[in-house]
Amino acid sequence: MAEPLLVLDGVVKRYDDHTAVHKIDLEIAAGEFIALMGPSGCGKTTTLRMIAGLEAPSEGEIRLRGRRMNDVAPWERDTPLVWQSLALFPFMSVLKNVEFGLKMRNIPAAERTKKAMPWLERVGIAKYRDRKVDQLSGGERQRVALARALVTEPEILLLDEPLSALDAHLVIRMQAELKQLQQQLGITFCYVTHSQSEAFAMADRVAIMAEGRLQQVGPPREVYRAPANRFVAEFVGANNLLSGKVKSIAQGIVMVETAAGIMRARENPLLALLPSDMVTVVVSADRAVVSDSAADGENSLSGTVIGEQFVGAFVTLHLDLGDGRTFRAQLQQHALEPLGQVRGKRLSLRWKPEHTVLLKDK
Amino acid sequence: MNQTDRANRRSSLFAWALALPMPIWQTLFFVAALLFLVVMSFWSVQNFRVTPDFTFDNWIKIYSAGYFRVTYVRTVLYALLAATLASLIAFPCAYGLAFKASPLMRRIVVASLIMPYFTSYLVRANSWKILLTDQGVINSVLGTVGLGPLPMTSNLFAVMIGYLTLILPIVILLQYFSLANVDRRLIEAAHNLRCGRVRTVFQVIIPSARTGLILAATFAFILSFGDFVSPSFLGNNKPPTLTVLMVDAVKSGSQWPRAAVVALTMVATLLLVAFLAMNFAYGEKRKRP
Repeated sequence: MAEPLLVLDGVVKRYDDHTAVHKIDLEIAAGEFIALMGPSGCGKTTTLRMIAGLEAPSEGEIRLRGRRMNDVAPWERDTPLVWQSLALFPFMSVLKNVEFGLKMRNIPAAERTKKAMPWLERVGIAKYRDRKVDQLSGGERQRVALARALVTEPEILLLDEPLSALDAHLVIRMQAELKQLQQQLGITFCYVTHSQSEAFAMADRVAIMAEGRLQQVGPPREVYRAPANRFVAEFVGANNLLSGKVKSIAQGIVMVETAAGIMRARENPLLALLPSDMVTVVVSADRAVVSDSAADGENSLSGTVIGEQFVGAFVTLHLDLGDGRTFRAQLQQHALEPLGQVRGKRLSLRWKPEHTVLLKDK
Repeated sequence: MNQTDRANRRSSLFAWALALPMPIWQTLFFVAALLFLVVMSFWSVQNFRVTPDFTFDNWIKIYSAGYFRVTYVRTVLYALLAATLASLIAFPCAYGLAFKASPLMRRIVVASLIMPYFTSYLVRANSWKILLTDQGVINSVLGTVGLGPLPMTSNLFAVMIGYLTLILPIVILLQYFSLANVDRRLIEAAHNLRCGRVRTVFQVIIPSARTGLILAATFAFILSFGDFVSPSFLGNNKPPTLTVLMVDAVKSGSQWPRAAVVALTMVATLLLVAFLAMNFAYGEKRKRP
């Protein structure tokens, strides 16, 4: 593999009273779309700001194309950022905003306009070139911010929750446009978001952070199907977590004794489990089969439906397992219809051992 | 009429009673005085006594006098110079306050900028004489090393010192308030787009604070333009400004009507300047369709 475009090597960021980022190691390849994802306060924005040079790492090294960046001033880097607040210059026209980066490179005015206009056209705001930015809608402003960051043709674009201020329907559209843009340009996008749907919709890889630490890095599907720890399992998607104790291991199947009975789970040799280890069985909400026949034996639970979230073709059922815990099951609307009115009904859940993920508790 | 209506009416009467003194004060002592000034500018002086009349004599005399025109231009230029100097001197200080100072430092400096106004400006301007006159502290020190005396009163330098004493603290404060409101995220965005520190000041910070900076300079101009203390006490009426001219007209020959002409010219000038400055300060925003 070629030298990665960007390397974070043991990067730490400490403030007077707390540590925002604990020792992050991350390699970002040229041309990839990576999403830094995590709840607010997890250090994802601080990490992005360190890449842009707006914060200096307390420890470790950031290398861009093999060059140590720690002491490079932000204005000497080529790491344009699309800001959550957009941070467009309100005293400038749309065109002047987009031309700003070119002006700072002392490119003559005529050439600036020649370079900026194709970008305005590309993101569909050419007709607003002479408007002030506060005369534009949120979506249009978003496009100005994108054009302003891309006009200097950087190798890497940093995006800090750029879609968080937009209406839901616009978000979906912009996601598709951003992904398409990234593929056409072939440059690296480093995208910070707290939204799993945003990260999964666009990123080639997601890096999940919590409390200043990287929890898991990998393609969205891998992270979704094989969460590396409890945090990831709870953070991504609709996973159900069942804690228990290993009873026996045989033929690739681990028997786990949980409060709700014996569960059979697929063995993960990497965990090197021994009997009586404490583990968590993760069952993805879309892996549980729901039926109105009684629960029978292993890998089966029953619960009372206490909630129903209907999103078009999909329904998420919330089932009360009777001991205060709830289990989420996702199924297609047409699969639910034969069961009739389900609210308040007692239903059973069933899943296959190979559809589970085992996590070893610390 | 029911009870609530009556109660409402009573409370609105009460509000009126509280609000009225100010408009009455303004009408009597500003609007009426101004109107009286207009009327008086058409009166005449006979045997050192102001006599009601209707003559354009005062306007013609003043406007055709070379010394008036020279003094007018001088006063405008002095006020412009004072506003420019104050703006330039104040900016680094206001910038430091807004972007570099710690909250404690900021509080101390802001307090020390307000403090000069505890003492009358007349006293403060006069105390400059201790330093500036030929027998003053500075020239005494210079004299011991065989230099001087440097002329530091009765000239432009002295008048500017006086003006700056009057306007500098308020210009710093006004500039500081407008710089403190500049969106820090815009500054980071500029840095991120390869705009260095100094360039960011000119490309982003000054345009962002534009309205406040212009208003501060306008305030400085207005205060300097109408100031009598500095040109008379520190400048010793040399060279004279319009305020000196006005006082002279009254003192030598009770020429109240001619002083009124000068005063009205000054009021008109300030109105024009304030109007232009407002246009300039808010102009960009007004162009919105």
